[in-house]
Amino acid sequence: MHKYLVAALLLCCGTAMAQPELEVQVELPKIETGTYHRPYVAVWIENEQQQPVRLVEAWLEKPDWIKDLRRFWRKIGRSEPQLVDAKTGATKGPGSYKVRWDGKDEQGKAVAAGNYVLFVEAAREQGGRNLAKQAFTWDGSAVQIEIKASTELGKIKLTSVQGK
Amino acid sequence: MKKSILVSLLLATAVSAPALAHTLWVVPSHFVLSKTGSWVSADISAANMTFVADKGIPVDNVALYTPDGKKQAIEHKYQGKRKSQVDAELNAEGTYKLELGGPVRFGTMYKVGDERKRLMADKKSRAKELPANATDVITSQSRSRSVAFITVNKPSSEVLALKNEGLEFKSSVHPADIVAGEPVTFTFLVNGKAQAGIELEVSYEGERYRDEAGRVQHKTDATGQFTYTPVEAGVFLIEASYSAKADTELADQIREGLTLTLEAALP
Repeated sequence: MHKYLVAALLLCCGTAMAQPELEVQVELPKIETGTYHRPYVAVWIENEQQQPVRLVEAWLEKPDWIKDLRRFWRKIGRSEPQLVDAKTGATKGPGSYKVRWDGKDEQGKAVAAGNYVLFVEAAREQGGRNLAKQAFTWDGSAVQIEIKASTELGKIKLTSVQGK
Repeated sequence: MKKSILVSLLLATAVSAPALAHTLWVVPSHFVLSKTGSWVSADISAANMTFVADKGIPVDNVALYTPDGKKQAIEHKYQGKRKSQVDAELNAEGTYKLELGGPVRFGTMYKVGDERKRLMADKKSRAKELPANATDVITSQSRSRSVAFITVNKPSSEVLALKNEGLEFKSSVHPADIVAGEPVTFTFLVNGKAQAGIELEVSYEGERYRDEAGRVQHKTDATGQFTYTPVEAGVFLIEASYSAKADTELADQIREGLTLTLEAALP
């Protein structure tokens, strides 16, 4: 009896650990300008009703300028300061960066299968602002999408990968 | 001395009468802020073109309400020739209201022959000031308010609470949630009741650089509502005006004006 329970537990958690995750590769382009400030960037997931599901990562510095990530500020930043603090890392210069969404909501629960939207927003002091938006289906099937570059954001790749 | 009294009387009239050509607006430097302790500067002007400053007006009737609904003293005020300015530090989280208002005022219009004249008097006091040959005598009770909202961090709704007095509005989304391309429904109320037929004019910044101002006139429907979808992100103005016959001790008609300066955010 005990043995079976252990086996069942292992099975269940084994599967849970093998849940797919979404890898998002974000490129920050090199921008030739006299005064380059690193952009503020936020990566998050919303559901089809435009409700935020999960903040993946934010690269921010001074509070004054966070409002310039207009959508991020409206959807998450202004009302979830602790969450933002927890997910905030230092701003980054030009380069390619990978972040991951574990397929869970802010309560740590795996989200229901369905359609979701990835948002990547970037705003640079004395520069521009861009919002990349990509819908994808999250039901266990593979995700392989590339979003074309804008001024402040280079190419963005969404790839489903096996979780650790 | 006499001249300055006359000027201030004229200005007082301007502040009270939305029917005059100029629109009074209040435009804050920021509608959304992400740090408590941020400063906001607001321009106030009486102008024909939306957000093109024309005449600076007295700033005594400008009030700032903190997110809990209390008045905050405004530290810096300045009346310029073309515009007036107020500066305030916003130390609390939530939504502030900046309002240019003032008390209800009374004005009596009349004619002597073909000439239209006006005096600052209500129905009770007008008798002793009107010339004997005055005709077409109408006394108006008027009030106008110009408001803008500034939200620091999380929006709050205390300053949006209805007082059920005069012309007011409520909206289907908080002012900090108005977004280009998304419809917002405004309900206009008079003394707390949704009012049909309120005249509305919507305009937006940049009129000086367009051949056509692109203003749009609307009226509230039977339920007092009006739905608007800002096409582009930017600052826009809704001028609402209401007038109705009245038969009170003090007036023959009531006029109310409410000018809202709102920001449609980027999607």
